[in-house]
Amino acid sequence: MKSATLIKLATVLMVASLWANVSHAIGDDFNTVVKMIEQFYNVKHEGLPFLAKAAMKAVGVGAKVKGGEARVFAEAGSIKLATFEDQEFNGDFLKFRNSLNTALKDTWTPLVQTISREEPEQNYIFVREKGDKFSVLVVSISSREGTVVQATVSAKNLALLMRDPEEGVKTIKQEATIVDHE
Amino acid sequence: MKSLFHTFPRTPLLVALLVVLPAITARAQDPRIQLTHLDHLATRASETVDLNFDERLILAAAKIFNDKDEDEAQIKKLITGLKGVYVKSFEFENDNEYSSADVDSIRSQLREPSWTRLVNVKSKKDGNVEVYISLTGSQVNGLTVISAEARELTIVNIVGPVDLEKLAKLEGKLGIPELGVESTKPKTKNEQ
Repeated sequence: MKSATLIKLATVLMVASLWANVSHAIGDDFNTVVKMIEQFYNVKHEGLPFLAKAAMKAVGVGAKVKGGEARVFAEAGSIKLATFEDQEFNGDFLKFRNSLNTALKDTWTPLVQTISREEPEQNYIFVREKGDKFSVLVVSISSREGTVVQATVSAKNLALLMRDPEEGVKTIKQEATIVDHE
Repeated sequence: MKSLFHTFPRTPLLVALLVVLPAITARAQDPRIQLTHLDHLATRASETVDLNFDERLILAAAKIFNDKDEDEAQIKKLITGLKGVYVKSFEFENDNEYSSADVDSIRSQLREPSWTRLVNVKSKKDGNVEVYISLTGSQVNGLTVISAEARELTIVNIVGPVDLEKLAKLEGKLGIPELGVESTKPKTKNEQ
């Protein structure tokens, strides 16, 4: 085989493999993070119960935010949620933060990360563009509870999140875990 | 046939210089400072905040902030042209939880020729506040604030055209803490 053909073939294979890797990474980040938490802290997540999922689909959007003006943060049907309840989250949070950042560095932009040792609580918000909207990945871990939320938000709601990132974490977390049955 | 490196023994050195020099120059002019040296403080801090608004997020924010909303319009105006806003903040339960070496890891980066410390700046808050600006020619292309209190250490690094007035207006917005930074420039007769 000619060397030019070999080079072309190698280039095609390399591009194809890179594309496959990126697609894989983008598609599976939510699950990757959930698995990472499970392995790092030796805990088990709970998905949403079937009925709650059905209720969310029926309502279109997962929840309404309580406190202040009630508003809907996430786009209809866009929420992925995993919760960890009543489990021990003992571990080196800096090591966890580094692992999380390393896992997501190619596909997400870290917006804000807060660690409180008093509470104790860790919150992470990652953002990436999704067409004319944005995907937001929120990871929140306290001493006995954890939440991972991935949601698509409108530009307007990303603006709200950027204006007050700390409040934004609380809002998205609440929104994803309070199902509105109205 | 003689190899290229054999014919021109200095070629490897020249090639290396051509590759490395632009990188060095770019680094020297880059007003983004590295804050990762401080990460270890998170193990001692009671509260740690790490905020990264990179250029992509700033561009997105500039597009999505609504001109009709007074607050958003103001933020939009302030962040337009900026290339990054980075904040690292630590709160401690006790005094002396961070060392001067920790602060020096930031100061050492601000000894680059492009950085100048502003002397006519003070803070309404207690503690020591240092403000540095990075210049390219006469243009400000970056600003760094080191706010070192007994139980709190905050570093704010803004990349892009920014001044103290802009910084003061950005305080409390986009997760930037209230630093109380103000210029102590003497007032003119008209201002008094």
